[in-house]
Amino acid sequence: METTIMLASALSGVNLLLLGAVTAVWVRNYRTFGTPLIAGLIAFGAVLLVENAVAIYFFFSMESLYSGDPHVQQAVLVMRALQAVALGVLAYVTVR
Amino acid sequence: MDATSHRSHDKTLWYLLTATRGGPNRARIVRALAERPRNANRLADELGVGYKTVRHHLDTLQEHGVVEAGGDDYGKLYFVTDRVEREWDTFERIAEEIDG
Repeated sequence: METTIMLASALSGVNLLLLGAVTAVWVRNYRTFGTPLIAGLIAFGAVLLVENAVAIYFFFSMESLYSGDPHVQQAVLVMRALQAVALGVLAYVTVR
Repeated sequence: MDATSHRSHDKTLWYLLTATRGGPNRARIVRALAERPRNANRLADELGVGYKTVRHHLDTLQEHGVVEAGGDDYGKLYFVTDRVEREWDTFERIAEEIDG
């Protein structure tokens, strides 16, 4: 596998861990408060969990999609990195 | 404070008290302080939460303008701010859901 796509897969793995952590907090709090705000956050977390799992699946199973064009690989990596930064910030404010 | 910033603070309060890891404990702290001002030690005892945890929550709540401190440094008493009293309906809806 190309290094760029391997890094992108690793970042999706990081995203899954961050999403797992914040979604676990929201699920626990939903049991206490049961408010629409937290239900919305759980839905947001669940969809992004699926999105990252699908991304990893694509990186491993459809490598040929990316292998021809280094620009595509870079774009994919940058977007995974931006999502990791966004989730990192959200996780920080949620667990602190 | 205009209506818009009032509403956005309202949302921050919801997130801080219901969507964060320490949210339920923070809500219990605010409820206890609304009843009457207390110091950090007292809060830790009454809520059965560690002193350091209580200190951390009080600092966070203070940063967000939810509580304020008075008195000398050691036995500092904490109060809920006027801001929270103005948003008491919001807070009551949050606090109703937690026990103890």
